[in-house]
This record gives sequence, C-alpha cells and structure tokens, in this order.
Amino acid sequence: MRYKLNLITLALVSVSGSAMAADFSVNKANTDGVNADKFQCKRCPDTTGYRGSVELGAAYSDSDDIHSANALNSEDGTHGVLNADVQYRGKTGYQAKAQAINLGLANSRAHLEAGKVGSYQAELDYRQLSQYQHDNAKSNLWYADGTLTPSAQVQAQELSLKRKQMGMGLSAGHQWGEQNYQVFARYSQEEKTGYQSASMVTPRPINFGKPFDATTDKLTSGLSISGQNWLTSLNYQYSEYDNQIESLSLPYLADIYAPAPDNSAYQLSLSGQYLFNRTAISTQLATGRMIQDAAVIQTTGNPIQNWDGQVDTTDGKLAITSVLDNRLRLGGSVSYSKRDNKSSVWEFAQLESDGISGAFKQNVLLDTEKLNYKVNVSYRINSDYRLQAGFDREELERSHSAREQTDESTVWTKLDIRSFANSKLKLKASFSQRDGSQYQASGLTSSIENPLLRKFYLADRDRSAFEAKFNHALADWINVSLIGRYAEDDYSDTALGLTSSKDYSYNLNADMQFDKQLSGYAFAGQQWIESKQNGSQSFSTADWSADVDDEFINLGAGMNYTGLMQDKLNLGLDYLFSNSNSDKQVVYTTTQPQGDYYSYNHSVEMYANYLLSDLMAVRLGYRYERYYDTDNAQVDVNAIDGLTTLGKLNHNYNAHQVMLSFSYQLR
Amino acid sequence: MMQLRIYNIFYGIAALVLLSFSIQAVPWSQLTAEQLAQQLEQKFAEGKYSKKGADTCLMCHKKSDTVMALFDGVHGQENNAKSPMAGLQCEACHGPLGKHNKGGKEPMIAFGKDSQLDAGSKNSVCLGCHNDPKQMAWHSSSHNLDEVACVDCHQIHTAKDPVMDKMSVNDTCTSCHAEVKAAMNKRSSHLLKWDHMSCIDCHNPHGSMGESALNQITVNDTCYSCHAEKRGPFLWEHAPVTDNCASCHNPHGSVNESLLNSRAPQLCQQCHMDDGHASRVVPQDGQDAFGGGKSCLNCHSQIHGSNHPAGSKLQR
Repeated sequence: MRYKLNLITLALVSVSGSAMAADFSVNKANTDGVNADKFQCKRCPDTTGYRGSVELGAAYSDSDDIHSANALNSEDGTHGVLNADVQYRGKTGYQAKAQAINLGLANSRAHLEAGKVGSYQAELDYRQLSQYQHDNAKSNLWYADGTLTPSAQVQAQELSLKRKQMGMGLSAGHQWGEQNYQVFARYSQEEKTGYQSASMVTPRPINFGKPFDATTDKLTSGLSISGQNWLTSLNYQYSEYDNQIESLSLPYLADIYAPAPDNSAYQLSLSGQYLFNRTAISTQLATGRMIQDAAVIQTTGNPIQNWDGQVDTTDGKLAITSVLDNRLRLGGSVSYSKRDNKSSVWEFAQLESDGISGAFKQNVLLDTEKLNYKVNVSYRINSDYRLQAGFDREELERSHSAREQTDESTVWTKLDIRSFANSKLKLKASFSQRDGSQYQASGLTSSIENPLLRKFYLADRDRSAFEAKFNHALADWINVSLIGRYAEDDYSDTALGLTSSKDYSYNLNADMQFDKQLSGYAFAGQQWIESKQNGSQSFSTADWSADVDDEFINLGAGMNYTGLMQDKLNLGLDYLFSNSNSDKQVVYTTTQPQGDYYSYNHSVEMYANYLLSDLMAVRLGYRYERYYDTDNAQVDVNAIDGLTTLGKLNHNYNAHQVMLSFSYQLR
Repeated sequence: MMQLRIYNIFYGIAALVLLSFSIQAVPWSQLTAEQLAQQLEQKFAEGKYSKKGADTCLMCHKKSDTVMALFDGVHGQENNAKSPMAGLQCEACHGPLGKHNKGGKEPMIAFGKDSQLDAGSKNSVCLGCHNDPKQMAWHSSSHNLDEVACVDCHQIHTAKDPVMDKMSVNDTCTSCHAEVKAAMNKRSSHLLKWDHMSCIDCHNPHGSMGESALNQITVNDTCYSCHAEKRGPFLWEHAPVTDNCASCHNPHGSVNESLLNSRAPQLCQQCHMDDGHASRVVPQDGQDAFGGGKSCLNCHSQIHGSNHPAGSKLQR
C-alpha cells in the first residue's frame, strides 16, 4: 500500500471547496503523519477457529402431482436435508469454508473452499437443478438406444429435466511492486438428463417425450494485472457440448429426428481500464469461434459425412465516462459485434417439396454485424435534483434477411428528485424509432412470403416508454414504494404481422417494522400486455386479426415475530398469490371466443424457530401450494384427427410439506 | 435518601436525552451534503490519523454490535494483507480521525442510510481497493450512472454479506427491481422465485462490457452458457434465433409457457405469412393440428435449428 501527501488535493479543497464527488480511496490518503507500527487492535475480538452452523432435517411432501416439486423442492415422500455453513480461520491467514444448501432435495448445492486469504484458493462445487413439467404425459413411444419403440397402449411418462454440475477452481494472487497479479482457472461439468415435450413428423405429427442425456464441459481461465489507476485482464473460456443421443429413429423410420449436435465454442477476450483523474476508459476486445462438426445423419441426397459448421465471432467495446465537475458528467460508448458464419454450403435433398423451391435446398449461412453508439449526460441541478439524458443508436446488418439492415435510434431522459415531500421520485422517458434498408423479401423467401408482411423484429417501429418510481417513508416504521410503467410499440409500416403492442404495469410495495420484534411486508402488482396483429390467408390484404390481452396479478404479504418465550421463539408467515392470464380474440368474418389460458397459485409458508440453547435450535416449517393451470390447446391424445398429443398436460393440485430440522451453532 | 433518588432521576433523564440524541442525529446531520463533503475532504487531505488505530475507535464504539460485527467478516481480518484492518484499520474506510474523538462533533466518512454523503464519494472508498476485473465496467454501468452506492447492496459490518449469498442475493436485487420480482411469479420463469437460480447467474450488477450488464458479451452467449444445445451452429438455422433469443423469449418470466412473449400460432404468424398454411387463421385453440397440442411446433419442432440433412423446414 502506498501513501503519499496529496498537496494538490489539499490546496484545491482549501481554495475551491468541494469541486466534485470526493475521492476517499485509501491509496490517495495522506499518511505522512501515520506511524503504522503503533496501530494496534487489542480491543479487536479473536475470530479465529471454527464458526458457523449445521442443520439436519427431514421434509415430508404430500402431493399427487410432481409439478409441485418445483415449489416444494422435493417430490412426494420423505427426504433428508442437510444445510451447513461452516468456516475455519487460522491465525496466519489460512481459512476454509464448507457450505451445503438443501442437500438431499431436488435443487441443492454445495461449496468447499480453502486457501490463504489474498494469496491462493482452491474450491469445489456441486449443484443440482431440477425442473418438473408433468408426471402423466401419455405416450406410446418409449426411448431406448436411439430408438423410440411404440407400445400397444399409451402409458404415463414423466417430463422433467435434471442438471448435475460439478466444478473445481484454483485462483492465486500476488503483489509485485506496484502491480497486483491475479490468475484463476475453473473447470466444470454438467450432466443433463430427463425428458421434455417435443414433436416429430412421421409424416403425421406425433408429440413425444424427447430424451436428454448430454454433458457440457466448461473451462474458464484468466490473468489480470492491476496498478493504481489501471487494470488489464486476459480471459479464455471454452465450452463443449456432448450429446449422447445422436439420432432418434422409429422401428419403421430410421433417423427421423436429429437431436442437438455435439458442439464446442471458445472465446478469448482482452479487457482494460484506465482511470485518468475523473475519467474512466474501459475497453474490451473478444474473438470467439463456435464449431459444430458432428456426424450428419446419412440419408439419400446428403453429400457429407460431417458438416464443418463454424461461426467466428468478434466483439469489441470502448466506453468512456468523465466527471467534469460536481454537476456535470459525460459518458459514451461504441461497441461492435460480428457473427461470421464460415460453414460450408451444400445441397441437401428435402423429403418434402414445397412445390416452389424444389426438392433440393442449400443450407443458408446467416451473418450479423452490429454497431452501437451511446452518449449520455448527467447534470445535477442541485443536491436534490439530477437530470440525465442520452442518445443510443444501433445499426444491425443481417445477411439473407428480408431487411438487410435495421437502424434504431433512442433518446431518453431521467429525472431524479431526492427530496420530494420527504420522498424520492425517479421519472424516466424514452422514445425510439427503428427503420432501415428497404424491406424486401430476399431471394430465399420472396417467392412465398406475403409482400405486405413485416416481421416484427425487422419492421419499422416507434417505441415510447415511461416509468415513474416513487419511494416514501410514511412513518418511522413504514416505507412505501410505487413503480408505474407504460410502454407502447407502434409498427407504423406493418399491414400484416404484429401491428402494435402495449405493456403497462404497477408494483406497490410496503415494508414495515412495527417494533423491535415484529416486522412485515406487503406487495401488489399488476401488468397488462396488449398486442394486435393482422394476417391474410388469401395471400392478399389483411382478412383476419388477432388481439392478445395478457394480464398478470401478483399479491403477497408476510410477517416475522421474534421475542416470544424470552426471545427463544421466532414465528414467520409468508403468503403469495399470482395469476397469469392470456386472452385471445381472433376475428375472421366473426369474432371467435377463445378457450381459457391461465394459471394461478396460492403459496403459504409458516415456520417456527425455537432456541433450545445458545447453540441449538429446532425449526418446524409448513408449506402449502395450490396450483392450477389450463390451456385450451391441450387436448386428449387422439382428440384431433392426424395429431397425436401427450394428452392434457394441465395441472390442478394441492400440495403440502412439513419440514422439521435441528441446527447447531459452531462458535 | 431523597437527594440520592433525585440525582438518580436526573442522571437517568440526562442519559435518556443523550441516548436519544445519539440515536436520532449526529452533530453533523445539520450540514448540507456539500458542507459535509467539504469538511470530509479537508480532513482527508490533512490526514490527521489516530495514534493507535482501531483501538482508538473501539474505546467508544466497542459497545455497538454492528461495529464489532466487522471482525466476523473479511474486512475485519488483520492477517489478510489486503484487508483494511491490516492497514489504516477503521480509518482506511471512515477516513482520518482528526478531532472526532474529542467530543464526537467532527464528521467521519459514514456509509449508512442516514449518511448525506453522495454515492460517488462513498464508492471511492470501496473502489480504492476493489480494482479488479469484476468491477472493470463499473464506471460506465447503469448502477453507477444512477448513483447507486456500493453499500446500497453490500453490508460490510457482518459475518456474511447477504448479497454475496446466492440464496439471498435475489432479495437485494428485487428490492429495487420490483417488476423482475413480480415476473418471477409468472406462469413460466427461470427458477428464481425459489432461489434455485440467482440474478447473478446471468447479470453482473457491477456492469459488464456486454449488453444489459450480462456476464457474457451478448444475450445469446449468456443463454448458451446453460443452453449449450442451442448454440449450434446448425445446418439449418432459424434467423431470429441466431439473432437474439429475446426476440421470442422473456428470460424474467412470461404469462405464456416456455418464457415466450406470445403463444403459437400467433407468435409464428408475426413473421410467417406465406401463401400456404402459415397464413391460415386459427380461430380457436385445440380444434385442429394448427391450434392444438404444440401448434406450429407439432411439425416444426426444431425451432432452434435442425442438423438433419432434410431439416430445412425445422421439422426433423
């Protein structure tokens, strides 16, 4: 650590007062008068040794729908649980840490680390993530060794995905002279298994449970060097995806479905930051490559064994922000991103002919190139009012697209009011306009797409957005915040496709501290998203339209009470309700009422924590989950001629969970 | 005896008055933010540090549990050469003592919610040491431009900073980002509401050199870091997929399944309107193969790209 007398700062402060936000960093401290040898800490407590807590428990879940395991974190039945957070500190700086979170349940993690603080560290990680969709999908296709074998009767199938990750890492750092060196390397492997809803064409469409059995390996490493006013970092990351399932066949149709191919990607990036007085300059350059050369399924009319799929990426950014004085700050950035598809092009026989482009097709290599510019200014009117404004522009080029280039310009402004009737108020408004090159269907698509269509991500669009955040301390014991938002998209040149969209919402939140023992919270929020689109099934002007109105409501409240039974008992309660609803109205000669598409849940959690002693405690918890969802598109297996589904994958359940645990504090 | 009781009452009232004064306000709470900053800068430049470091401070502040909790965390470790306790100790962050200990009337650099010091000045203390790649994009980050202070999210005087715990970091983020907190509870979302995933799995709150403070440079690279099967490149690509995953998905949650901004077939028909079946009106879900089951994805299930030689229509 270097200390020096900053006479210039002293002189400036004396003469001009506070010129701008102060710099109190320790490396700017005037330590001429410090005798560090006399600095003592006899009054500091000794925190070496072991400390932390270990909790052992059991959870019993009662549910007839596996979907409840998403909320309860365990499937039906009894499961042991281990939670731990233990650390060891040695007197010479060595330390170790062990953490376990919900080990034994569906989603869990563990972490071990050891090393010497500031010098080196080794770590090990474990993480399991589970996501449950349904345990009663009805299918007569059963997967084994690359083949989906039909059974005579449909049977129940579980659709869920599990990820198990193991990771390890090493890091070290050292100060050489004025410079600090840091280096790290980390490796992880993830196994992803399970089944997910999918569909195939045989040629009639059949929904089925697509198997997952894949491994992803990741390696990241980096070196950084920093000085007092600068920093540079070199990073490398590599990822390899290995799918154990290379193709799917039916007994009577070989290789009908190609699962995700093996692939790999790397990226090398060099970053730097330099601080010059109150100006910060940051930059990054990155180059990467995505490779996919897995064996291609062999069919008649396929000229290759392996495709040499390769996409090169180049990214760069330069950002500058400068504090000119205590009122004015300027900033700006330029960023560039390129996706260059360098794969080879071949002609492949297609099994279906669309009658226009023929039975053979060339694969198309999609490139994108994006340039962003941003400038912003911040002006402090006084200590309570601050105004910001900015201009952002994005220029994006796409190859083989109906519109080769889109340009989007955005102006925005923010007003922060720190003291408005004992409140804080933040207002934000932005307006953006997207246009670009002439919209014309490319050679690949012009023959079949309706010329009046404007794809929503390429179309001209005017976007207006407003946001207000209000925070008010009603009293010492209650704080209230309210956020309101409104955004509107107008696709001004679109006759067919998405023509407009509105998204508006509010979120109200209250935090309460009634007294030292009792605290509580409550929140409420609603959001509405309304979109309109037109279509033409006569390959002409619009002859049908669809209005989609989404509505979401979210309510919650909870409390925590400590201090019962001579401060030994702590009680808590949380409640959450949410309802997601989407209504469609399709107008074609007449307005057709649509079926239901909504979901709701009531979630309740209660717990009691009782201190048996200073070191031991027991906790009893109860969770209740009421969940319902429906989707009119979900139909019985053979309800629609020509289509085989997995049945109605809706949910309607009440689930309960009781958890009892014992914890022990290490001190 | 009566006199002693009166004295006791007097002393009790005096102690209560002093205590309430110390709780409600510090002597420099009447200063404006500019006056406070000016005094602190003056003190910082003069550099009148204490003679004995932390022991000087703890003479008065040892009774505070909050103050003493510093020693449970990394910033209170003396045996870590980079810890403030191995250097100027308390004064490394709170500035030189000056005459603060002579009556407690001189301000120190304070970080609590009642501190009038501006965010930039507070943050300069932290950034003096935390000059590492994780903070490289801080200066141009939206949090910095919005004058968010490090201590608005981080706690220093604690054994465990809640924002550094993956089971509680979401609470800190959503205390401001209420709309994201709500979105977690929509019909489909990432596993955020139960803390099985955290905001920092995708975002760096200190800013990044990529888009939207994401951990990877692009939106798609961030998605691929968990969904590597969608990375490809595929023999047959779907243009909006290679362009931006967020064209169709909202990663914070949606009232639709699969985080989709809209449902099929309408979502697909916002881009596909040919003279064949793609333009066909689907008046009601669940009536035919275009609006039942997986809708368009009944046939075009390889919507993220196909590697089947005959998969140009993303069916195989």
